[in-house]
Amino acid sequence: MSEKLTRRNFLKLTGLGIAATAVLTGCGPASRYVLRRPYTEMPEYSQIGKSTYYATACRECPAGCGMIMRTFEGRAIKAEGNPAHPVNRGKLCPRGLTAVQGLYNPDRYKTPVRRSRRGDARTEALSWDEAIEIVRSALNGDPQRVAFYLGLNADHVFDFVEELTRTKGMPAPVRFGALGMFEARATLVEAARQVFGKATLPFFDLADADLVLSFGANFLETWLSPVAYSRAFGDFRRRGEPLKKRGYLVAFEPRLSLTAGSADEWYPLTPGTEGAVAMALGKLLVESGAVRMPEMLENNYRGVNVEAVAQAAGIPQEKLEHLAQLIARAERPLFLPGGGALGHASGLENALQIFALNVALGRVGQPGGVFLIAGEEKADSLESVQTLIQRMQAGEVDTLFIHGANPLFELPKSLGFEQALSKVRQVISFATFPDETSLFADYVFPDHSPLEGFGYVRVLAGTPRFAISAAQPVVVPLYDTRATVDVLIAASGLPYTDEVDFIQQKLQPVFQRSGAPELATFWARFLQQGGYWEDVGESPDSADLSTVPAKVLLPERAGEKTFHLVVYPTQMGDGSGANRPWLQETPDPMTTVMWNTWVEINPKTAEELGIHNDDIVRLVSSAGQIEAVAYLYPAIRPDTVAVPFGQGHTALGRFAEGRGVNPAEVIQSLTNTVGDLAVGDTKVRLEPTGKRRPLSRLESKSGVYGEH
Amino acid sequence: MAVEAKSLSTPIHGVDDEEAELREQLMFDPRPREELNRMVMESMVHTTPRYWAVVAFLAVVVLVCLFGAWGYMIATGIGLAGVRKPVYWGVFIVTFVFWIGISHAGTFVSAILRVFKAEFRRPFTRAAELMTTFGLAAGALYPLIHLGRVWVFYWMIPYPNARWLWPNFRSPLVWDFLAITTYLLSSTIYLYLPLIPDLAMARDRTKGWRHAVYKALALGWRGTEAEWARLRKAITIFAFAIIPVMFSVHTIVSWDFAVSQTPVWNSTIFGPYFIVGAILSGVSAVVTILVILRATLKHMDYFIRKEHLDALGKLLLVFSMAWAYFFFNDYLVSWYGGYEAVRKVLFFHSSGPDAWIWWSMIVFNVVIPWLTLWNRRIRRTPWVMLIITLLINVGMYFERYTIVPMTLAHQRFPFDWGTYVPRIEIIISIGTLALFILLYMLASRFIPMVPVWEVREGQEAHMIRQIGKARVPTVSELE
Amino acid sequence: MAEEKQTGRWGMVIDLDVCTGCNACVTACAMENNIPWTGEEDAGYGRGMHWIRVQRYWEGEYPDISPHYQPVMCQQCGRAPCEPVCPVFATVHSEEQQINLQVYNRCIGTRYCANNCPYIARSFNWFDYSQQIPTPMNYYLNPNVTVRRRGVMEKCTFCVQRIYEGQERAKAEGRAVRDGEIVPACAQACPTDAIIFGDLSDPDSRVSKAARNQRRYTLLEELGTEPKVTYLKGEGTYGG
Repeated sequence: MSEKLTRRNFLKLTGLGIAATAVLTGCGPASRYVLRRPYTEMPEYSQIGKSTYYATACRECPAGCGMIMRTFEGRAIKAEGNPAHPVNRGKLCPRGLTAVQGLYNPDRYKTPVRRSRRGDARTEALSWDEAIEIVRSALNGDPQRVAFYLGLNADHVFDFVEELTRTKGMPAPVRFGALGMFEARATLVEAARQVFGKATLPFFDLADADLVLSFGANFLETWLSPVAYSRAFGDFRRRGEPLKKRGYLVAFEPRLSLTAGSADEWYPLTPGTEGAVAMALGKLLVESGAVRMPEMLENNYRGVNVEAVAQAAGIPQEKLEHLAQLIARAERPLFLPGGGALGHASGLENALQIFALNVALGRVGQPGGVFLIAGEEKADSLESVQTLIQRMQAGEVDTLFIHGANPLFELPKSLGFEQALSKVRQVISFATFPDETSLFADYVFPDHSPLEGFGYVRVLAGTPRFAISAAQPVVVPLYDTRATVDVLIAASGLPYTDEVDFIQQKLQPVFQRSGAPELATFWARFLQQGGYWEDVGESPDSADLSTVPAKVLLPERAGEKTFHLVVYPTQMGDGSGANRPWLQETPDPMTTVMWNTWVEINPKTAEELGIHNDDIVRLVSSAGQIEAVAYLYPAIRPDTVAVPFGQGHTALGRFAEGRGVNPAEVIQSLTNTVGDLAVGDTKVRLEPTGKRRPLSRLESKSGVYGEH
Repeated sequence: MAVEAKSLSTPIHGVDDEEAELREQLMFDPRPREELNRMVMESMVHTTPRYWAVVAFLAVVVLVCLFGAWGYMIATGIGLAGVRKPVYWGVFIVTFVFWIGISHAGTFVSAILRVFKAEFRRPFTRAAELMTTFGLAAGALYPLIHLGRVWVFYWMIPYPNARWLWPNFRSPLVWDFLAITTYLLSSTIYLYLPLIPDLAMARDRTKGWRHAVYKALALGWRGTEAEWARLRKAITIFAFAIIPVMFSVHTIVSWDFAVSQTPVWNSTIFGPYFIVGAILSGVSAVVTILVILRATLKHMDYFIRKEHLDALGKLLLVFSMAWAYFFFNDYLVSWYGGYEAVRKVLFFHSSGPDAWIWWSMIVFNVVIPWLTLWNRRIRRTPWVMLIITLLINVGMYFERYTIVPMTLAHQRFPFDWGTYVPRIEIIISIGTLALFILLYMLASRFIPMVPVWEVREGQEAHMIRQIGKARVPTVSELE
Repeated sequence: MAEEKQTGRWGMVIDLDVCTGCNACVTACAMENNIPWTGEEDAGYGRGMHWIRVQRYWEGEYPDISPHYQPVMCQQCGRAPCEPVCPVFATVHSEEQQINLQVYNRCIGTRYCANNCPYIARSFNWFDYSQQIPTPMNYYLNPNVTVRRRGVMEKCTFCVQRIYEGQERAKAEGRAVRDGEIVPACAQACPTDAIIFGDLSDPDSRVSKAARNQRRYTLLEELGTEPKVTYLKGEGTYGG
């Protein structure tokens, strides 16, 4: 044996020694100190270290929830909700929870790069000095020939760029994202402006309502501020003390979404008839005499033919009467204008009709009613994007800056963004991740991941209170990335020392409100708490119904061979979540499908077309076609098919690439009167392809559907 | 005696069929002892190129399919098999139960028939006992193959260890482990004891390495009266003792399933049901092997006769009926209980996508034996018996397949049902089948396949004695 | 089936009337407990490692159809069927937390416990899934939770690392654990607060009060497993 004492021998000797001691001391206490125990205790018992928690803002979607990141030895471990934050109060959605998988995704951009051929994955690294030089020369060119395309998530970048473009006399930045597109955010803002006189997002006090009629608002999934609304839904549903009524939810949607799945009643109406249904309900309410309406509305409703609406929407008339009775009986009814109602040619009219019901029933500024959020929403409609595309197409854009958005993936292909992009002399992307758009950029100057940088979220759709979320780095940046605002400050010469300085300047009014003795105190508190919020918010005191139209056009129904197409965002959000393996592996709540795209078809329709579960079908619209796997979904109108959005990436790293299909390929570029995409007006044909590809589902097909 | 027997070996006018059958079973055409020995020895050393080709082929199959595939699976993960949620046990366990069942018949045929003095057993006890040992060897691999972390399999063994932890004696898997090791050990001894005189016989008739090996194995057997007496006593003790062990092994295997709360598994009748099934499949396997031995091994047509197949065929018919009875009993009681989860599983068995397995099981285990085995001519036609017994074993394999993965597939939550598709299991199972055949083939050229002394003993003990005018069949006082 | 103590019986109530089936608990659990993903093919072949899953059933026919959600995880049975069948004591009852533990480094992978679990709550590491996490994504792995290698069984632990941490913290501060102080990842994330966690032996705790609701039921009650998870039936004709 070697000189070294092996562990086993050491233990033996120790044992001997202990035995000897025990004998010598007469079975003294020594034996108590030696305890060789089997490995009965899990390491979970022995490795509790000290973690550090940082408050920050979740920037996975525009909602801006407060997030607390648990870090351990400089690594971000677990995203948790910020219990103090007025939007999410400690709760978080799957997207926020997987934020660390975005931060630590192996496929991120690691340095600034130049791409010699667009679309080529190969790049050549640059130094940040070179990068800033390139940005500077781009900004110093003809200001009219520069364009910015920004996403919805990073408010501070938008604010900075807005200031920059204003100072330099450049066209205003375009701000557009898929989530805003699906909820027709610009239409909602416009409707709020017309009714309440302020162009911002409304807030619906779901928690205190006792009856909610949701017109295509998928507030449990992605609508406006899903965690805030989910949390409110919990309160809405729960019987409170002493005897709060259990909230009753009615959903109008052509396809049963997660939200409609939690509803007490679900009405699969014809897409686009939401406004007409709202009017019919209004008429029935007037007729019942239970509700006093403003005269103007009563006049409006007079012309409504309830029977015709019921016919067009596909809801039995007696059901409408039953709903009117429910509303009349309810103490605090609330009507939600969701993306399903607004993303149509008559979207604005639908929104106004739904608002009108809220107003007519006196639900404005009341508990359980409609409020306006404090932040000023500046989401653009699709029209601005179209204008930008026209400029690009005409060769009027020399440099296009893109930050926080992935238009090549998100926008309907039929808009022709890709072709227009090729006319742009120079494309500079600030993407942190090699997404589709940055693959077509000449330069990529990667921003920090949201968890590595500063920022704020000003527009918090989830609370009526004055609130602003603070974002701060929770870990040291992993790679040689740089905050976009820093890059732009360095390149533009705007009078800020750095990003933090800009944010602090921008927060001056908030600091004034907060009553903090000095900015440093405010700043420290702001970061530590994850933002600044006040207890009360404003509420609209009056509502103007003069623009509510007397008539809503009924949509064109799908024909013999065509189907309404419902495209809905999932936990992948605007598609940027597809690079998170755990978002991919988290089953879709309704279909339990993982890692792929499916087409929901009513089983009856499928039978008529000879389509079976897991058959690959082709969806053809005038804009294009896609092939995806059929899922016979029992809760969808027979004349409607639905496709989830978010998959079908051609870039975005190993977990997203080549997975599923992107329904943006078939969305027709129809717009409503506000210029928003009428995403619900797309119609498609269905063609079986004869191919099959089993979907990866959590559910058992035979157990749930009796199918082998 | 021999002279007397010789005269009786020619058919006697007026002797009925039954007696004639007995005469055939007992081989009342004895040959000189030396000739018998020579015949057995010849069968052992007689090899053809075809034999070696088959052995080589099987060896390759064992290396690739069993050890290669298993090694690859150890290195990669048990996920190479088709097991999944909720079918955590699949073909590995099916094959395990199958081999344990096969291994039953060796002991059954040998020990039970010995205890009950069923004389027709004599020529083929060895073949059956070998089957037990090799079947166990093949089967005992499976609890290891099936483990997620086979490199720590010894944690199931009770021994003082650094973990300061005994195995969980409440777990049926520990019972299983103990039962199988006990059975393997005792059946090996039970195989070995009657082998000693034959080994000694072989020792005296070989040279070179074989002589050395046989010499060592024969333990210096000289054939003295005292040695014979001790041997007989030992064999008798073992024959009696091994029967409960044998019953316990398969009962414990059945407990792996029956003590769980899984619908359909949780059945009190599983113990005897499994034993009957095991005997059915085991006796079938004995017939299969006897037919093959008879056709391939030299001189075996003298030792293994149609009358033996006939007797075993009757036994098979009885056990097929017993199996059907237990199956029906188990099915009826489960179904009648009306528990929804159980009914769903039973419905899945007979009408799910794998229903052909369940129906094949019924046809192979019940319909075919009942339609054929009542017929004496069929029972005496070796190639037909070969097909029938092979089918019975396929049917019994399907029975275990129905019980294990097809039951687990449909547990209480329909949301979590899952259909099982075997993957690497098939290759590994083929590997162990090859291992079994290979071991048997090698053993057939090394171990005297017929216990010469027992045959001889039977012949001598049952010489019909003439007392006055009556012919009296007697049994030797030796037994 | 160790004798149950009368204090510190951790339990959970899931209000199905409030549960929206959104799957946030699934993701939260995965991120807290270092659960590896398995990829499209394996996940579709029943090999997903989800410790908690939301069962979604359908009731009725179109258009009067509604989904029924039921999040199911290890029910931490008081009389757990998985415990006696393990030959190597890898699945044992924790006397301290009164829950059912899986000791990974003892598990040899017989998978008997999973067969005997009526709730199908156990996941098996069929391959070395956790080793397939590419660097630097493994940075986020929780140091308080073992990363499981291939060949071992795993399941929901009620986030025992959090329970332990909370108990230790309370002990260090010389006080009892406060109600609501300890929450597992699923309950923490649950956007509608449908999952309530706490000490069942304290009659005044939020979870105890919720568990006395008249809508209460436990899964597969007839098996007598004494689960620590109580469900509250959905109220509406639709949903929940």
